[in-house]
Parts: sequence; structure tokens; C-alpha cells
Amino acid sequence: MFGLLKAGGKGKIINLSQVGHLVQRRLLDLGITEGSEICVKCVMPFGGPVMIESCGQCVGIRRREAVQIEVVKL
Amino acid sequence: MEIALIGNPNTGKTSLFNNLTGSYEYVGNWSGVTVEKKVGIFKNNIGQLIDLPGVYTLNPLSKDEGVVTSFFLNESVDRLLNILDASQLERNLHLTLQLLEFEKPALIGLNMIDVANKRGIQIDAGKLSEVLGVPVVPVVARSGKGCDKLVDAISTKSTQPVKKNLVYYGKEVEEAIVTLTGMLHGKTDLSVRFLAIQYFEGNEYVRDYLHSIDDQQKLNPVKAKLESKLQKQYEVKSLANYIYQKRKEVIEGIVAEVARKSNSVIPLSEKIDSIVTNRFLGMPIFLLLMYFMFMLTFDWLGTPLSDLLDGFLTGPITVGFEKVLTAIHASDFIHALIIEGLVAGVGGVLVFVPQIFILFFFISLLEDSGYMARVALVMDRIMESVGLNGKAFIPMMIGFGCNVPGIMAARTIETPRERLLTILLTPLMSCSARLPVYALFVGAFFAGNKALVVLSLYVLGIIVALTLAKIFSTTILKSETSLFVIELPPYRLPQFQSLWRSTWDKGKGFVRKAGTFIFAGSVFIWLLSYAGPSGLKVDMDHSYLAAIGNAIAPIFDPIGFGTWQASASLITGFLAKEAIISTMNIIYFVPNDASLQGLMADYYTPLAAYSFMVFILLYIPCLATVATIYKETNSKKWTAFSMIYAFAIAYVLSLIIYQGGKLFGLV
Amino acid sequence: MIANIVIGAAIFGYATWALVRFINKSKKGKCAACDLKNSCSSNCGIPPKIQ
Repeated sequence: MFGLLKAGGKGKIINLSQVGHLVQRRLLDLGITEGSEICVKCVMPFGGPVMIESCGQCVGIRRREAVQIEVVKL
Repeated sequence: MEIALIGNPNTGKTSLFNNLTGSYEYVGNWSGVTVEKKVGIFKNNIGQLIDLPGVYTLNPLSKDEGVVTSFFLNESVDRLLNILDASQLERNLHLTLQLLEFEKPALIGLNMIDVANKRGIQIDAGKLSEVLGVPVVPVVARSGKGCDKLVDAISTKSTQPVKKNLVYYGKEVEEAIVTLTGMLHGKTDLSVRFLAIQYFEGNEYVRDYLHSIDDQQKLNPVKAKLESKLQKQYEVKSLANYIYQKRKEVIEGIVAEVARKSNSVIPLSEKIDSIVTNRFLGMPIFLLLMYFMFMLTFDWLGTPLSDLLDGFLTGPITVGFEKVLTAIHASDFIHALIIEGLVAGVGGVLVFVPQIFILFFFISLLEDSGYMARVALVMDRIMESVGLNGKAFIPMMIGFGCNVPGIMAARTIETPRERLLTILLTPLMSCSARLPVYALFVGAFFAGNKALVVLSLYVLGIIVALTLAKIFSTTILKSETSLFVIELPPYRLPQFQSLWRSTWDKGKGFVRKAGTFIFAGSVFIWLLSYAGPSGLKVDMDHSYLAAIGNAIAPIFDPIGFGTWQASASLITGFLAKEAIISTMNIIYFVPNDASLQGLMADYYTPLAAYSFMVFILLYIPCLATVATIYKETNSKKWTAFSMIYAFAIAYVLSLIIYQGGKLFGLV
Repeated sequence: MIANIVIGAAIFGYATWALVRFINKSKKGKCAACDLKNSCSSNCGIPPKIQ
């Protein structure tokens, strides 16, 4: 559902379980988990990665994984 | 006393390490600058400080994080110094809670308070100390503010944590911990509570450690039972997740108590980000930056400075040596050794110091500003299509300075396959030692567009690396798993002083090498060119060096430089790439003012010169790089592979360029 | 004459020493050549499974 978000879009993560195990772990390390509020900062062209912000820190993840994150719009 | 420095990535541990020990280790603004353990002595001699790679948790995913966990399990340490990034307190405290469970004396350095304040976060250090039960000292690691207080606290205060068991993990987990405590009693010196919790979390290093001291048939059921119990009772996804949530609850309580948040302004960082990681501008901006860097190195600033230095070396310095040699009635042999061997060989390399320093200055700027992680983000799409991830671009960028630290930096890549691929391909990045060769040849043959020709070589290195990545990842290194999550640190305005330190630190290796290896190499190369089967002072074409070069020269005939001179310099280049240029200076030694550049035209055509540069760019990595590849891969097979494929690809490309160029009527 | 021998011996002596040291250091790679090797435990290496 994340794919619907455009740069500037804000949302709250409700489900991360679709995302690959390793990526889930890394996001958890960075404090991004279910319940975290995130904001899409920019989306790279040609299916490239997206840059998201949560609690003041920016993280880059791949489009494929971003799409698997379930969020609700804020 | 041994004190270990530990904290999240990019929180300023190494900056603090440098400040406390007065040493100068490699710092930068991205996650994963430090990939190995470093040891230093405190300025006031109170003990040893150990700098460790940054970790988010003690449960490792990548190799550099594993360094920390094995350090905890296998080495004794007296105190832990935990660095917290005040602007990311919640995330940092996850590690802190794990460290406190380790039950060793600990204290906390609260770093980046300035960044936190800018974000509108105020932290009460006194209260934090009270809640955690360990001393907390606010510091600014970059400037060194607060470091003296930190040293005081380390050497005077009793740092044994006063509070035990900050986190209550719930009845079930605590019971399982007690069970494990009973089983492990007397078998380890480490905190059993710590081991148990890490074991439950699925920490592989701790699991292996426990299996080595106790029967795994007994240990496994405890964990399995606990997990199924929790899953039934609380519907949690996994034991690890349950433990994480418990910690999180405690942390939320702590943060609510010690931190106050107010509204903040939009940081400058985000404004810059919207430009450099712009959808369409990201890549062009990166290429433009590279172009600017090469213009400055080869055209605007570097070359004029090099020419000045060259004039100084061939002029006053040579004249000075001549005078001294005449005054002491030196023999012909000593005279030739010093003027034709040392001044030509060592001087020929030293001439390029200005250009090397400019290049290193730019690399330091990239590292220090926070742009490095952005480049990784911008490059990820391309890297993904060849079976790598954007993070692999960081070792490659570092490889532009020197391939050895570049290969070491590949440790931050999580998946073993991508890491191996990065290690194999980093040597294709044109390191600074290859730069003098380009500088010499573009000066002689492509004076009109020096920067552009050199840029084409750097880009060629990248393109070849990406192409090979695609080939390797679809043939010999197949695997589906790939991971790309990268932390993008806020931009920092680089301080001039730290930039200079960083540039000097990289550049001094080059200067030192000129005084040691290049000196030695020059002496022996000169001797080989001076002596021959028929005695000393032979014509150079009949020297031992010519004989050696001639033996392999025919191989290089099809690619445009089948001369013994070129072959001889390629052989010395395996020991260190700088040696190529010093060998050429000795071989093509020209007395008086005639320059080497002018002489080159007699031996190379422009096309052969380009083919030669391409060959230098790609052929067998230098000895130090090969040794590092061996250390990092721990495999003779892959090390041999890295040498063979590099030689093959260099030969094939040079052949295509030279023969293809001739077909098109180029000379 | 003596000056010649002294200079020649000094240059060749230093050159031999520097060359041997450099090659030994390079051959060992970054870890073993490091000044901290005795206290450094970060053993380098990729897990054997990928080999």
C-alpha cells in the first residue's frame, strides 16, 4: 500500500510482516516498526529506492520492500 | 584498565576516540566507517580505549557488527563507555539496555546534544543518569567539549551500575532466565542474564558460545518452550519481537521522563536533500561533482602545482645534488645512482603529491559531509540491476583513494554474496597510485582535454565493475537475497581542521611510500638498468632490466606496447602502482631540461597510450590489495580469481581499444 | 673514495631494508601489518558457506 504514497506523504505503519526478514530486522534496529509514523521524503526514478523519515532520521529502502509495508494515511 | 567504546553507528565514537587518545583514526559521516576494532592509549595514561564498529544491537547482521559481539564474548573489558546520539535517544537506548544487562561497570557519553537542541529536543543528563543508574556525561565529540569531564568520570567514579534488571521481561521470560542460570552456573564468567536474553533473541554468536559450554540438547528446549508459550498466551510474532517490545516499553518511559520536545525548524539537511537526491538530478549532480573534482585535480589547480614542483626538482634540487657530488669527487657509479636513479625515480613520484592531495581532499569532503550515504541511495537502482546494492558503492568510492581500505569497508555489506562481489570488484576502482600514470600520459598525449580523458578512465573502471558484477552474479555467485536499508545521516558542514587531518592522513601514506618503497625500488631498478650481462654501465637496451622486459614484451605487442620498457614497468607495478611511474622515469631518463612527456611520443602513439592507461587501470591489483583480498575472503581460490580475471579483462579491453582504434584509422 | 663507499653502502643498505619490510608488510595484508595486531581480535573472513 506504501506504493500509493508520493513524496511528502505521511503514514503510520500497521503491518511489517510482509517485508523480508532481514529488512525487517534492520528497520527494527533503526526504530522503525509497527506503529511508527513515517514520511516519504523522495522517490528515486526508474523504480529506485525511496527515502523515508521517521522520528527525525532518514532511511533509504528499496521500492520492493516499501510496497510491502502496510500503512494507513495520516 | 581497558575501556570499550560502544554505540550506534555514526554517533561519533571514533571522533571521541581520537579526542580521548590523541590519535587520528579514520572518521566520516556515514554508518560503518569503523569496521574493525582499534586500540588507543588515553592521553593521561589511565588505560586503553578500544574503539569498536557501531552497532544497533548486540545481535549482529553483518560482519562488522559481529566484531562487537565476539569482542563481548571473548575478551575481558573493565569498563564500557556507551556513546548515545542525543537526537536519536529512543533508538540508542535499545543498545544501552543490552549493555547494562552485561553487568560490567558502564558510563554514558551523551553526544550530539547540539543536533538534538536544533531539533527541539532537550535532555536532562542528570535525570538520565538517575534512571539508568550509571554516570551520564554530555559531550560534543567533534569539538572535544566535555571530554575532560568524561575522562574524570572514567577514572574516578565508581561505575558499577546501581540498578539491576532495568527491564522486566514478564513472568515467563524471567522464569526461563532462572532455568538457564541454573544450567549455566559455574560454566561462564559472563552475566548469565545477558547471555540468556541474547540467546532468546536469536543471537547466533551467543548461541554458538552457549553450545560450546553446555549441551545444546538441554538448551534448545528451554527456548522453544518459552517461545511457544508466549505465542499462545500473548499472540506475539516471535520471542525476539516480544523482548524488543518489552525493552521499547521501558525506553518510552525513560524518554518521557528525561526528554522534552518543542517545535523545531526544518533542518537545512532536508533542504539540501531535496536537491542532491532529487528524482532526476541525483545522478547528474554526482557526475558533475566528479567532473569538477577531476578538472581541479588535473587542469585548474593540480597540474600547475605539479609543474612547479617538477621545475623545482629538476632545477635547483638536481643542481644542488650535482654540486655536492662534484665536491666530494663522487664516482660515476654514485653520480648515476643518485641523479639517474633516486632523483628521477623518487622525484618522479613526488611530483604528483599536489594532485594526490587534491583528490584525497575531495574524498574526505564526501566522507565528512554525509553525501556518501546519499550516493549509495542514488546508485542503488543501477547496482540492484547488476546484483549488488547501493551500499557496495561506498567501498568503491573509498577505493578511489586506496583499494585496501575500500575492500575493508565492504564489511558493512550484510549479505556474504554481495560482500564477496564487492571485494572482487573494488580493485577495478582507479586508486590514487594509478593517478600519476594518467597524469603523465594525458600531459604528453591529450593535453587539450586532460580531465575528460582521466574521467573516462574512472568511469570505464566503474562500468567494467558493474558489467562484471552482472556477469558474476548471474553465473558463479547466484543468490536471491539482497538487502538494502541505509541510514542517511544529517548533513554536516565539514570543519576545515578535520578535513585537513583526514586529507593529510590519507596523503601521508603516499609520501611515506615514496621515501621507503619507491626509494628502494628506484635503487634496484636503476641497478638493473645500469648493469648487464657485459658488465656495468652498459647501454640500457642491453641491461638486465631490458632482458627481463623483453622476455614478456611479446605478450603486449597486440595491445600496442610491446616494448621492454613498458613490460618492465608493469612488473614493478604489481608491487605498488606508484612504481610504474618511477620505473619509467628511470628507464626514459633524460638529462638536462627535456621532459619525460616529450620523450614519450617516441615510444607511444596516442592510441597505444590510451590502451596502456586502460591496462594499468584494470590489470592485477597491487600486492597489498591482493593480500587484503586474501585476508578478507579467507580463500586462495577467490584471491587467485581476482588476479586472473583482472588481467584477462585488462588484456581484452586494451586489445579491443587498440585494434579497434586502428581499424577506425586512429593512431 | 671513502665517501663513495659510504654513500653507496648507505643507499643500498637502506634500500634493501625498506624493500624487505615493504614486501613483508604488503604480503601480510592490512590486519597482520597493523601495529595493533596483538590486541586486535577482529579476524577477517567471509563465512565458509559461500566459498
